[in-house]
Amino acid sequence: MADQGGSQHGIARTSRVRTEEQRRQDVEKIAKYRDLDERVRKELSQKRYTPETFQLTSKLLQLNPEYYTVWNARRRLLIYGLFSKPSAGSSPSTALPSSSLTATTTTSSDASSSSLSTATPPAPDPPRAGKSGTTADEGDGSPEQAEESKKAEQDNDLELIKQELGFTIPLLLASPKCYWIWSYRLWILQQAIQRLPIPIARRIWEEELGLASKMLIKDRRNFHAWGYRRHVVEQLESPELGGTSLVESEFKYTTEMIKVDLSNFSAWHNRSKLIPRLLDERKADDTARETFLNEEFGQIFEAINVGPEDQSLWYYHHFLMLNLVSPVGHPTIAPALTRETRITYVIREIEQIKELLEDYDDVQLIYEALIDYTLFLCQFLERKPDGSERAELVSWLDKVKKLDPMRSGRWADLERDCGLVEERPRMMTMAS
Amino acid sequence: MSSSNAGNRPEEVQLATSAHVKYIQSLDTRKDEYDYWLTEHLRLNGLYWGLTALHLLGHPEALPRAETIDFVLSCQHESGGFGAAPGHDAHMLSTVSAVQILAMLDAFDELEKRGRGSLGGRAQIGHYIANLQNRQTGTFAGDEWGEEDTRFLYGAFNALSLLGLLDLVDVDKAVKHIVACANFDGGYGVSPGAESHSGQIFTCVAALAIAGRKDLVDADRLGRWLSERQVPGGGLNGRPEKKEDVCYSWWVLSSLEMIGRTHWIDRDQLIGFILRCQDTEKGGISDRPGDMVDVWHTLFGITGLSLLEYPGLQPVDEVYCMPKSAVERVLSRYKK
Repeated sequence: MADQGGSQHGIARTSRVRTEEQRRQDVEKIAKYRDLDERVRKELSQKRYTPETFQLTSKLLQLNPEYYTVWNARRRLLIYGLFSKPSAGSSPSTALPSSSLTATTTTSSDASSSSLSTATPPAPDPPRAGKSGTTADEGDGSPEQAEESKKAEQDNDLELIKQELGFTIPLLLASPKCYWIWSYRLWILQQAIQRLPIPIARRIWEEELGLASKMLIKDRRNFHAWGYRRHVVEQLESPELGGTSLVESEFKYTTEMIKVDLSNFSAWHNRSKLIPRLLDERKADDTARETFLNEEFGQIFEAINVGPEDQSLWYYHHFLMLNLVSPVGHPTIAPALTRETRITYVIREIEQIKELLEDYDDVQLIYEALIDYTLFLCQFLERKPDGSERAELVSWLDKVKKLDPMRSGRWADLERDCGLVEERPRMMTMAS
Repeated sequence: MSSSNAGNRPEEVQLATSAHVKYIQSLDTRKDEYDYWLTEHLRLNGLYWGLTALHLLGHPEALPRAETIDFVLSCQHESGGFGAAPGHDAHMLSTVSAVQILAMLDAFDELEKRGRGSLGGRAQIGHYIANLQNRQTGTFAGDEWGEEDTRFLYGAFNALSLLGLLDLVDVDKAVKHIVACANFDGGYGVSPGAESHSGQIFTCVAALAIAGRKDLVDADRLGRWLSERQVPGGGLNGRPEKKEDVCYSWWVLSSLEMIGRTHWIDRDQLIGFILRCQDTEKGGISDRPGDMVDVWHTLFGITGLSLLEYPGLQPVDEVYCMPKSAVERVLSRYKK
């Protein structure tokens, strides 16, 4: 139910009355589409796993990339018809090593689950339709011959994999938020690992970073592309592909993305996730970690100074502050900082933010940060706000309430939680 | 802070209930429109969206019950899973929709009689869903091809609990997986490491609610992030610095409701935004004012209004996205 596919986003409402001409065109388009759909269903129900059927699925998916059943049919066409070796390793249940779908899944990948082909065999003896019609166990030839036919199979599979990667690119560019295309592409990449020599598979995966970057140039916040990038990086780092860490280059990538657009929270988020590993792998000592934290503080503050209304920046600043005041339970940037240093840094940030008020006295997020961090400080020192802090909190909260009446319920709760008003029952709208 | 003046808005538009009912009823009569065929992969989901909206609007009979049940059962495979339409492969998303529709229509007895597979009935569906759990990480795949996402985990919990079969899966492991998806801002992503996103927050918090583990949510931190999704104009966005969209009236608001922080946003302004997204003449609700309507945004506009206690609407369950009365009826069967 969280699937957005097929819903209308950002398309202007127009008159729903179609002209006779539009209606005629629709009827024509529908007839063509349904005819194609019928043909695909028929070919598959008759188990014709041929290049011709494959072509028909291409046409259908170009008309409708959301048609997930046809993406599945395409996978089956490759496994049972076009790839060189219908080995055990290519059955769906083992196709993704990250998924431990149990043995019962194998039964669910039998006839009953495949709709278009109501009787897909587990393919012990599929029709040979691939370019390389030979298999290694066909003859009892010499080792050279076996080697040669193995090479031919790999060439066949490599070509198919490249062709599929090429096929999905224009579809992704046209529908960058279509889950099915992204997941099909990952499945193809997984086939590369299973069917090709490691260096060749690795080269294919490396090129995917380029695609992820390209998609993120088109839309810097596309969470499909960010997720895809993290997945590709993880694979490239894995022993399966003979990989080593990419944390330095990925960290650099977030820096570049942020430079282009300070407001890109997706990049800030990824940065927050990469930092603990980055510092571990750099074998950063305590001094290096403290320097790193201060540089991050410096950088984000500079950005806030330019755009104090940008939520993305404050979220990242908040993340850095949590590194100071909430040092247990999760990896932090500088775990060895002394209590005194932490307090000094928190106070430094508060003072700097106060200075922002000289230029911006009506930006709600500044007041919100001042309230948050003053409370952080008190919590860290395990005491209540003192007299002057209390006075400041009251004045900042007054400002926030005026600037942001939308969230007045939240400010009322905060006021009570800070002990700035007399105790009254919490405003609960429901039993939680 | 109350929604008492929600029904008293003489200057503004009211909810166009009868137009919306007609719009939803018309959805299956549009076979001469190309889009009808291009969206066949969402047919069962669409039926769930439309039916839920009709129930909340107080018109549960607006779609014929017997035909609806027949259609749902015609989408089932021997494996127990449901495809989006006859001839479409089984998938978690359509299977969850099927269970939700049958639950709303109080039709589990029909399922027991006519459901496919060797186990039949609820048990067969439970078997299908349970087999999609990744027993190592606890999360769920959408189908046999292995795509994993917290959407599928929530869907599994939703359907299994409605079927009374949650014990078929490793709930603790799934809960651990959700915890691994949490971020410093209190939100949750698609998978561990992914950015917080309101849609995924709904799936993670609702799954924790079904598992009885809402104690694991950092309610204050998450609540502030969620409340900051409201933008000038009253609508809610899904992530920082993004545009508002009616569907987040559901993802954000239901999450706030689950953690007891609905009063952290401006209800009246959100009501105003949703109402402005209506096509008051022909029915339906769109993502933003003036855009094309669709059944998906129509449902989430109405569920949002229901959570905001807009007058005349049936209360929606913030965890299941179904009428509260239906959820209570189904779940009460399994209470000892």
